[in-house]
Amino acid sequence: MSDDLSRLPPASADDIRALVKRAGLDLPEELLQQFVAVWPQYEAMVRRIPRGRGYDEEPAHTFRPARW
Amino acid sequence: MDIPLLTIAELRRAYDQRELSPVEVIRALLDRVAAHDARLNSFIRITEDIALAEAREAERLLLAGERRGPMQGIPYGLKDIVETAGIPTTGHSKLRQDHVPAADAEIVRRLKAGGGVLLGKLATWEFALGGPSWDLPWPPARNPWDRDRLPGGSSSGPGAAVAAGFMPAAIGTDTGGSIRGPAAFCGICGLKPTYGRVSRRGVFPNTFTMDHIGPMTRSAEDIALMLQAIAGFDPADPGSEDCPVPDYRAALDGGVNGLRLGLVEGWHDGEGAHPDLAPAIAAAVAVLQGLGAVVEPVKLSSLRDYTDCKTTISSVELYSIHEPDLRARPQDFGRILRNRVLPGALIRGEDYLAALRWRGALANEQKRAFARFDALLTAGARTIADRADPSAPDRHGVTVSITMPFSISGVPALAIPCGFSRAEGMPLSLQIAGRPFEEATVLRIAHAYQLATDWHRQHPTLGPTLD
Repeated sequence: MSDDLSRLPPASADDIRALVKRAGLDLPEELLQQFVAVWPQYEAMVRRIPRGRGYDEEPAHTFRPARW
Repeated sequence: MDIPLLTIAELRRAYDQRELSPVEVIRALLDRVAAHDARLNSFIRITEDIALAEAREAERLLLAGERRGPMQGIPYGLKDIVETAGIPTTGHSKLRQDHVPAADAEIVRRLKAGGGVLLGKLATWEFALGGPSWDLPWPPARNPWDRDRLPGGSSSGPGAAVAAGFMPAAIGTDTGGSIRGPAAFCGICGLKPTYGRVSRRGVFPNTFTMDHIGPMTRSAEDIALMLQAIAGFDPADPGSEDCPVPDYRAALDGGVNGLRLGLVEGWHDGEGAHPDLAPAIAAAVAVLQGLGAVVEPVKLSSLRDYTDCKTTISSVELYSIHEPDLRARPQDFGRILRNRVLPGALIRGEDYLAALRWRGALANEQKRAFARFDALLTAGARTIADRADPSAPDRHGVTVSITMPFSISGVPALAIPCGFSRAEGMPLSLQIAGRPFEEATVLRIAHAYQLATDWHRQHPTLGPTLD
């Protein structure tokens, strides 16, 4: 399986509307249309994130109990 | 003596020699604000009565020989996401238009205890992210160097107000460059301290893991003085670090002879960069070399990578902050903020984690660079200030950012003036980044540069007084 998500097709307007609904948001139509126009640039950004890191590459800001 | 353009250091000397009093200074600044801010919009609220009362108290203590610290009797402003007890703190947003905090932010408590004089609450992009916006209760701030241009953001009011001579210092906040950008566009100095160096308690959050609070002034020396007043551990801020605070003013005078500085390749030139920027940075490098610094090129990941990583993380954290309002009253957000917050609802958990893991790798490449270099150099901004155009498309996350790399790593980074564009006469900026908690080294380099140059002593002409 490829780690490259940029090969995926872009979400359609209907996809975006469904995702917004699934997130529990009930936006007026005008605001929803604005967001449908904006989301593709964010989708492309997220899909550019490199994947497939080793298990030792943990997230930044891991929990540090010694800081308590 | 042109009171509005005096630095913190100059005001302190004038107070010590009893050539000026804090009340006299506040009155001069209030007059200047009254004459010019209607065309700059840098203030959301002028706290005249508080300023005069605090100035009188500072004057009384100074005359009594009681010293409270480097900000005693010094006027300052606060970006309006910094909470002030009893004074509205709006976030420049309809959502908090009437919000009056019960308590001061920790940095306000420190500035008050140190005798600082609050002149007012300053414009910001909506909640330090959404801007420039023309659909908010207050207009966007303008750039004092050219009122048809913007001061950058999100600390737009602090940038404009300090450059305009309304105050010698202001507090800004910086998640992806919101101190350094306005400092660069307005021809002043702005420091994003190390993550954890200055308390975030009582400051409206933007991105929990990347929010920084810092000073904006007209000299590196003044940055050192204001940082001294606000730096230090706060157990009530989960990100605060308990490590010693050095004497930043005393550390300024070491010079740069023998320091090793890495000039990051490919960030400040190429596509999208202003053509005058590369020569200005080259000239700044030559000044530092002339003072004895050793400057070598260093290669880091692309600005595209850093921008993608930071924006992904920010989008998710932003959404978690604004979700309740977005559900209840989405129409009360400015359009730009709403459209920058909403993506966080659609970014998957695994994408956020992938970005956090990437962040670790990007921070580690800087750690390796800082093993070779005492500091890294690049530009404070890749362009000059944008024109004020309400119809301009939102390029958030599309245009690469030259400030986000040091947001990702959390290291201290300072923007200082280093020239002007030839055609437009707009400020250009040098950015100096240092190892974690080595603000003193960054400031020492900047101070040496400013002793050898006078870019930071150039001030905009504000034009005729308003009647």
